[in-house]
Amino acid sequence: MAETEAIGSGHHMTNQTGREFRDLAIRLAGDEVKTCIQCGTCSSSCSTAHLMDASIRKLVQLVLEGRKEEAMACESIWLCTSCLLCTVRCPRGIRPKAVVSALRQIFEQEGRRNKDQAFERLFMDQIKSCGRISEFMLSAVYPLKNPLSTVPIMEMGIELMPKGKIAWQISCIEGISEIRRIFEEMDSQ
Amino acid sequence: MKLAYYPGCVARSTGKEYDLSTRAVAQALGVELEEISDWNCCGATHCSNQDLAVALSARNLARTGLPVMTSCSICYSNLRDAAIRLQDRTLRDRVNRVLEVKYQGSTIKHVLEVIMEGLEGEEGGKRVVVPLGGLRVAPYYGCLLTRPKGGIDSPEQPQVLESLIRRLGGEPVEFPLKMLCCGGPIFMPQDGAASESVLRILRSARQAGAEAVVAVCPLCHLMLDAKQRLAEAKSGEELGLPVLYVTQLAGIALGLGPDELGLEMNSVSALEVAEEIYRRMSGEQQC
Repeated sequence: MAETEAIGSGHHMTNQTGREFRDLAIRLAGDEVKTCIQCGTCSSSCSTAHLMDASIRKLVQLVLEGRKEEAMACESIWLCTSCLLCTVRCPRGIRPKAVVSALRQIFEQEGRRNKDQAFERLFMDQIKSCGRISEFMLSAVYPLKNPLSTVPIMEMGIELMPKGKIAWQISCIEGISEIRRIFEEMDSQ
Repeated sequence: MKLAYYPGCVARSTGKEYDLSTRAVAQALGVELEEISDWNCCGATHCSNQDLAVALSARNLARTGLPVMTSCSICYSNLRDAAIRLQDRTLRDRVNRVLEVKYQGSTIKHVLEVIMEGLEGEEGGKRVVVPLGGLRVAPYYGCLLTRPKGGIDSPEQPQVLESLIRRLGGEPVEFPLKMLCCGGPIFMPQDGAASESVLRILRSARQAGAEAVVAVCPLCHLMLDAKQRLAEAKSGEELGLPVLYVTQLAGIALGLGPDELGLEMNSVSALEVAEEIYRRMSGEQQC
């Protein structure tokens, strides 16, 4: 039903949650998202489109129609590799990648959790606490959040260890209090 | 010439040989590098809060008055994206409120750009003391070297790596998947997707007749080099394709030794590529 309606006029827009979701996502991803013509250039450029349950074009549509729960349930949000080809090619100057980022941000802010969000969280928490990333720490902690990642991470470790490419020590930066202030300021809306 | 150097986090671990060869090549080209003091992570591809990503990059850029060079395509893309978005007065003011050293504008270069500049003209040409002897090299761009647009080359039809390979005496192969994403940013949570990309890219390079692949990003390199043997084991096909960092390939041509370029640190032997190049050069001299 909603497929045949004009963008932004679906029945979801009559409920407050749908409107608030749409407005927040647009504020985070840029006002130009409203000008989407659903041409699908983004989806046809996407390097992981064949793995996705909903294309990038569809994600933009779900945002514009305020279909929050459908959007939040898409695994596609987590299959984007941030390659930016969609963003280079969009004829409307929209940054579809920014729409994905907005959905990731909303997902997390609402306390939703999954294995992909856990990785992003771990990564950003490390920057917040130390200023830099330790791949060793990421590899050591992430399998606790996602047991399925244990084998590929260990295989990679076994490959890299004899080459001396695993840094066991974690060195934090001196300006960590400035980093914390940056997080506080930029996390406030 | 003096440049500020932003190594990025992996320079201390999985990308050690990229850092090593970047410093060696810069020195060989007469470029002095000054590492940005107390630099922080740019957020890579994992910072969904885009204003935060801009601020993290701004802190790095603000800490130097020199043009900033980085070897990592992800860092390069993030620093460039930040510089573009910081033209917005409101965002810049908000970011500068929390920065100890204020951001006042910046120039950002990828190491590939610095190498190209160093090889320009007759003087630059003389620096190639060990030409690659027609080595067939697959130019792997990956994603972020050319994105967002406005950077080192066209995001649709880049040619800068082909030019470099020729300049070094090699032969760039036509390689249809030269810009297909390696899947690196999602390899921890989505290993299957990443392994598939690695196989497709390397197969494409192999079919194009490449003897080696050149990479410009430590995450691409990790996927194509360190993950290659694992991908081979899973798929049952043999690839055996050495993947050299652009600084390693250029370094060999500039006459730098394997130790200076960390060639023994690659998973698929990069030393053999260097030996092949030396063999071809001595062969030519005998003729």
